[in-house]
Amino acid sequence: MSALGESFFRPRDLGEACARVADLVTRGVPHHVIAGGTDLVVESHLRPPSTVAPPATTLVDVSRVPELVEFAVRGDTIRLGGGVTFLTVRRAPALAPLRVLVEAGKDVGAIQIQARGTLAGNVVTASPAGDGVAALMALEAVVGLRSVRGERAVPLRDYYQGYKKTVRAADELVAWLDVRVPAADAFQSWRKVGTRLAQAISKVALAAVVERDGETIRRARFGMASVAPTTSPLAHVERFLEGRAARGLDLAGLDAAVDADVSPIDDVRSTAEYRRHVARALVREVARGLAPK
Amino acid sequence: MKLQVNGVMHEVEASPTARLLDVLRGPLGLTGTKEGCGEGECGSCTILLDGLPVNACLVLAGQAEGAEILTVEGLAAGQLAPLQQCFVDDGGAQCGICTPGMLIAAEALLRRNKAPDDAEIREAIAGNICRCTGYQRIVDAIKHAAVVRAGGAS
Ligand SMILES: Cc1cc2nc3c(=O)[nH]c(=O)nc-3n(C[C@H](O)[C@H](O)[C@H](O)COP(=O)(O)OP(=O)(O)OC[C@H]3O[C@@H](n4cnc5c(N)ncnc54)[C@H](O)[C@@H]3O)c2cc1C
Ligand code: FES
Ligand code: FES
Repeated sequence: MSALGESFFRPRDLGEACARVADLVTRGVPHHVIAGGTDLVVESHLRPPSTVAPPATTLVDVSRVPELVEFAVRGDTIRLGGGVTFLTVRRAPALAPLRVLVEAGKDVGAIQIQARGTLAGNVVTASPAGDGVAALMALEAVVGLRSVRGERAVPLRDYYQGYKKTVRAADELVAWLDVRVPAADAFQSWRKVGTRLAQAISKVALAAVVERDGETIRRARFGMASVAPTTSPLAHVERFLEGRAARGLDLAGLDAAVDADVSPIDDVRSTAEYRRHVARALVREVARGLAPK
Repeated sequence: MKLQVNGVMHEVEASPTARLLDVLRGPLGLTGTKEGCGEGECGSCTILLDGLPVNACLVLAGQAEGAEILTVEGLAAGQLAPLQQCFVDDGGAQCGICTPGMLIAAEALLRRNKAPDDAEIREAIAGNICRCTGYQRIVDAIKHAAVVRAGGAS
């Protein structure tokens, strides 16, 4: 094989992709898996010095691996291939019940980014501001990790262990994400605050899926971006809400639950205090949405 | 490496890990596609990849093998396409740097939506930055083009 052939692989299927990555890991060859490239190409200077020179890093292109770009509806679970793009999420009629993910998808960059950016890429990048991750958490996503050693399933809420630290091993690919289809009458909402137009503030985002029995909140799941070292669920808020009546909620108690869940930081874009304020306001907004006048 | 661009199959000598943008502008000589930011923010490098608008600065050439690529050069057949003519007539292009990307983003929209409203047009070009026109003339040009493409009066 030529030098170039050694540095760019396009596996035909998931098995071949796993074998290729395993081999590169074993031999200690510097490499990246690449899907849409919307994080990788921006972050790392992958590009060779000229259009014909081989690059320093070997790439395994999974953007066309058939098993990764498919999805399948299985009762109240939908299995989304890791290579499903945000544009596919927005456009596929079968995925419309995942309203919170569809709405989040509309907010991921612009259409050019949505057409390339994948769910697995969003998960693996592990940005504290992962919009797809936030929505997937609200949909109780389970991550399917695949390698030559086998396959394992990890709940997305257990996947992150700290800033950019995840449970994924170097030879594992995100093969799929299983999400729970919310009840047809579930409350689903997506809110992203702080746009390009207001560059002084960061983009705090909240994904919510809440199911009720009449007035009572049966199940509440959230994913929030930009208020902690990782995009994260809101476990205290979820526990606070479940079993309570949607009307007349104790808002001070709700705020306290939010405070227990978030750990915002000061950075160039915003202050911790401002982010905490926005986090509380977004959760209150969901609470209001649950008990419309 | 083989790339199908604007309906023609090209044999190009390039690294599959070069950016598609560089291969289009370099060995293929298609300099209509512009580079603004190189980071997916400005949209001036927008092309269609299998019919979908993407930033050529973020796609690697090897990833585009086997796909159909459309660049701004592929819009006109002998004479300017109606979409292009409308940009000219309606002041949708001033300095012209954003124009190839705008045209491709608009083309992607008009292929799916024959009569888009202002909001749909603005969403479709939200990833394309223009520093000259203030966008309204671009929106008008795209609307106008939709009418012309539907066989209406120009
Ligand atoms: C202009 C711009 C705007 C953006 N806006 C947003 C936004 O609003 N919200 C947001 O959340 N993100 C945003 N992003 C970030 C990015 O688009 C998303 O994170 C996207 O989902 C990344 O997916 P990808 O397929 O492009 O990933 P890639 O860049 O291909 O890969 C990202 C990482 O994931 C790994 N990877 C990819 N697929 C797999 C797999 N199947 N298994 C294992 N590892 C894998 C790669 O090795 C790499 O480490 C933006 C990016 C740009 C350039
Ligand atoms: S040059 Fe590609 S988006 Fe700006
Ligand atoms: S016409 Fe100059 S940037 Fe749009």
